[in-house]
Amino acid sequence: MVGRVKYNVMTAEELQHMKNRMEQLLIERGIHLDHDEMLEALAEKGCIVDMEAKDLKFTKEIIDKAIAEVPAEFTLYSPSGKYDLKFPNPTGDFYTRTNTGAPNYRTIDNQTHYVKPEEVDEWYKITNVMDQLDFVTLPSTSGEYVDEAAVDVWTLAEALKHSAKHIWVQPYEADNVKYLIDLAATSVGGADKLREKPVISMISCSVPCLTYKHMDAEILYRSALAGVPVQPCSLPTAGANTPVTAVGTAFMACAEVFAQIVMLELLCPGLPVIATPLLFSMDMMSTYTLQSNTEITAARLVAMELFEEGYNIPAHSYGTGTDSLTLDAQNFIERTNLIDAMAMSSASVLGGAGQLETAKTISPVQLIIDNEIFGIARRLRRGLAVDDEAFDWDEVLAGIDKDPSFSFLMSEHTMRHYEEPHRPDMFNRDGLVQWERAGSKTLTQKAEEKFYQIMESDDVYSVDADMAAAIDKVRDEATKALSGK
Amino acid sequence: MSILNELTELVIKGDVNGTPAKVQEAVDQGLDAQVILNEGLMPGINEIGDRFSKGQIFVPNVLVAAKAMNAGVDVLKPLLEGGGDTTIGTAVAATVKGDLHDIGKNLVCLMMRSANLKVIDLGANVSAEKYIEAIKEYKPDVVVMSALLTTTMNEQGRTIQALEEAGVRDQVKVMVGGAPVTQEWADKIKADAFTADAAEAANWAKEYVLSK
Repeated sequence: MVGRVKYNVMTAEELQHMKNRMEQLLIERGIHLDHDEMLEALAEKGCIVDMEAKDLKFTKEIIDKAIAEVPAEFTLYSPSGKYDLKFPNPTGDFYTRTNTGAPNYRTIDNQTHYVKPEEVDEWYKITNVMDQLDFVTLPSTSGEYVDEAAVDVWTLAEALKHSAKHIWVQPYEADNVKYLIDLAATSVGGADKLREKPVISMISCSVPCLTYKHMDAEILYRSALAGVPVQPCSLPTAGANTPVTAVGTAFMACAEVFAQIVMLELLCPGLPVIATPLLFSMDMMSTYTLQSNTEITAARLVAMELFEEGYNIPAHSYGTGTDSLTLDAQNFIERTNLIDAMAMSSASVLGGAGQLETAKTISPVQLIIDNEIFGIARRLRRGLAVDDEAFDWDEVLAGIDKDPSFSFLMSEHTMRHYEEPHRPDMFNRDGLVQWERAGSKTLTQKAEEKFYQIMESDDVYSVDADMAAAIDKVRDEATKALSGK
Repeated sequence: MSILNELTELVIKGDVNGTPAKVQEAVDQGLDAQVILNEGLMPGINEIGDRFSKGQIFVPNVLVAAKAMNAGVDVLKPLLEGGGDTTIGTAVAATVKGDLHDIGKNLVCLMMRSANLKVIDLGANVSAEKYIEAIKEYKPDVVVMSALLTTTMNEQGRTIQALEEAGVRDQVKVMVGGAPVTQEWADKIKADAFTADAAEAANWAKEYVLSK
């Protein structure tokens, strides 16, 4: 692409050193994996397994063999067929996604509570029309409103019925994984079709350091068997469960994610994967977990560069978010700082749209504003062409501006390029008089207006009644099975 | 500077080696163990608590100061009445069943220990039955229930219910916390206290124990 702007945050030597140490860690220390069936399967693939201790070590040969299987190109499909995502992005752009895992919902009336079922549908009605948003997650319904054993099943069912865009799925129980995959398969007409055109991808998370609890091992294992893409995560907190240094935490997160990718490719060669280290830090005074610590933002770029440049594996991390509780100045400083930094990184996916309070709250107003900020960040990443056409060389050299009748406003060069500057949809571009005439509206107020416009409009996507019934049937069977435990 | 003032400063500095050495020096000089504790070590840890509450120092400062003080207390224990147990009360802490997140719970344990509470850490994914067994065995003053997820916070309520059914609920104060937990939730499940962070949890437990 023309003029691609990109930060390089590591030297070639630093990158190679990080790769060497990460692989050494997995070879010499190894991991703890709480899943007998998976341990046995990986032992058959050549991993060194201690079944009693549930410990596993890799060899250099196994690592190289597995990483060679990571597909250079793949597609995450969308339920509507309109938002399929090719990796790597053919334009060099990044993809974006909504926040996952937040228990709270900040309503348009500024009330905050656990996510209600109707708010899941509201959320997807918005995400379907956000032009800068590429895939979605599950705003998990609270166990107060649906069967708590099956909140992820209920939320995925709503997503499959209402989201036009690819869905990234976070299971909350090991037993639910099978049903979540069944739900997705039902929505596309069967397991084979899901393998062929995956409309969902899965989230699995490690527990620092280098431990994989049964639920997440089950996600990895079942996804590999079903051919469902995985975006394996690590969510370390610097100073709490990983080294306090941002790079130390990035290193551990990358090692944990890398181990998941190696296991997935051993179990299902060629499975699409996106490395997803999601870094946090602990504030050493308040003890709160923070997302927007400055060093952690920089360390995310290190992690992205490791996977994208070091292994040619697409990488994904937080691209927006804040530790602020509200839509205040801190919020917008933190999230814009993060978006811009990540836009200039090697990352293939920027995540976290709509989040407040360190990813614990999602806000539809914030989501609508994030859509705007992503547009700016995308324009930044594309960079600028530096050539004679951009200089307007011929006209400038000819001194065309010396002609008193000449105006750049009317030049042919202007005619060719005047539509190029990015114009955020809701930003003020007027002077004071016009702004006051239009009601002196802030960006937040305009986002609130847009929210109401979206709510008053028809849904742009939903499955037909027969498919909705089929999804509900699987959901209800799953709920019955899960709640009857 | 008197030797007692020196001890106070060593605790504030978090000098894990210097504090017990200075305590031994004070003992050798013939100072009473209770005086060394009350007028040398305790002012140091109290000052640390005061500075932390004012946002002047970091958590690691608190933890290392507590470690220094405990090292000093170890020297005094044989000389103190009652075997030298200087803890002010006991807490049982765990993350509830179904939840494996333990960062918050671990922080609470550290801060409570720094507040001079004896802490029985049951770990993560802990069933109501294990809580009940621990209450019967350790007879704690407070019980801490942590949960990170909306899917697991319901277990806090079920555990409290189980404590009632087992007849041990009235023996303890139940504290709840975790990312999705609120005062409203604590009220709903009839917990005794909701605290927003580890330091607040330690303070609440300390004040409760001292007020008994």
